[in-house]
Amino acid sequence: MEPPVEESTSSEEKGSLSASQRRAEIRRRKLLINSEDRMKRIMGFTGSKKDDGDRAEGARNEFEPNVHLEPGKPDGWPSSAPSAGLSPLCSDAGSVEQKGSPLPESRSTPGSYTEERGSAAPGHVTREELPAAGPQGLQQYLSHFDEAMRLREQLTGEKLAQDSSSDTEELDTFRLFRLIGSIVLALIVRVFVCNCLSIFAPFFTLQLVYMGTHKYFPKGERKMKTTILTAALLLSRIPAELISRSMDTYSKMGDIFTDLCVYFFTFVVCHEMLILIGSEGP
Amino acid sequence: MAAGYAWFLVLGSVLLCNLVKTLLPSISSFLSKVFQKDAEHETEMRMEIQGMKQELSSISMMDEFARYARLERKINKMTDRLKTHVKSRTAQQAKIKWVVNIMYYVLQAALMISLIWKYYADPVTVLPSKWIAPLERLVAFPSGVAGGVGITTWLVVCNKVVAIVLQAVG
Repeated sequence: MEPPVEESTSSEEKGSLSASQRRAEIRRRKLLINSEDRMKRIMGFTGSKKDDGDRAEGARNEFEPNVHLEPGKPDGWPSSAPSAGLSPLCSDAGSVEQKGSPLPESRSTPGSYTEERGSAAPGHVTREELPAAGPQGLQQYLSHFDEAMRLREQLTGEKLAQDSSSDTEELDTFRLFRLIGSIVLALIVRVFVCNCLSIFAPFFTLQLVYMGTHKYFPKGERKMKTTILTAALLLSRIPAELISRSMDTYSKMGDIFTDLCVYFFTFVVCHEMLILIGSEGP
Repeated sequence: MAAGYAWFLVLGSVLLCNLVKTLLPSISSFLSKVFQKDAEHETEMRMEIQGMKQELSSISMMDEFARYARLERKINKMTDRLKTHVKSRTAQQAKIKWVVNIMYYVLQAALMISLIWKYYADPVTVLPSKWIAPLERLVAFPSGVAGGVGITTWLVVCNKVVAIVLQAVG
């Protein structure tokens, strides 16, 4: 279908070229189109194209990751999601196709076997579809995985851009500050305060102080460590923003737990030392 | 007396485990050196190949083709032997590394299980219960002694602190 169109456009554009050059140009374009189609088929981009309908197809590749990052736009996810995201075996996809929702004809390139399937009877579709369901599901799954990996890279890039002003030394300084604060507090509590109240009360007060003063400290660079987990969460259609926030919360909880361990350890060691010296008993 | 130092015993064990873990690569390489005594033979082969290559460069290919070809074949043969040797040595080294790692993890698990077994009912140290007031049951787990610090809590705390210290040192 496309070669004549391409031919006409190219002939309009390059009227000044000689016939052989024009032919060469047409051949080159044809090859490029074919490779693009093949790549799209491999990446599974054609599947979501049908759902987007009249949306700009050219800008799709640029637009897609931004949509996923916005938490308030759940419809930004390709609507083929439920059919592929959960089961790569495509059992859902088959059911969706049978219900009469957008058929998979636009999922593949024009002239491919799926176009013929669209016009065939439903019973015939299921019979022919069964052997092809596996590879299609796998393709969709792979395309989603690729999408997730791109999103992850983008997330990491954004985080790095945000924290470009700060470096790892400052993070270490803040962590060191937290740890030293916990140690000093444990010593003070053991010597002066602990006879009056629980040892955890001053610790949580200190954590509140840290939370309050956190914004005044330079933000450290936090890389995504759990890459497989992140990819898995992205694949299961959880918004990237939510994952990012959850991971931030998780890391903060980890910091608090570390502080608590250091605090408790210092307290117990100090207590044992005081008992050993014999100055004070429990 | 011994019960009074239980906290220190646990701390020492955790520290020892972590130190050994950092030394695992060195231990593996030492053991591979001990078990692989034919490293000298490999060096000899390398030297021999180098010598033959030097000799080959001094021979004119056109004038003494037969000698040149013979020497070249010899070099190729020796190189193949060296490659096979290096391959087997690398495989053996990986095997030793794997065995050392497995042994370490088995010993660590045995040590931790024995510590937990020993201090299951007794706390490693005892504090006044009001000091750790809202979390005393959690801290005392699994001993159940009011105000006691249980072995699991203490193991977790020690592991975390030792990891931080080693990270800072390393």
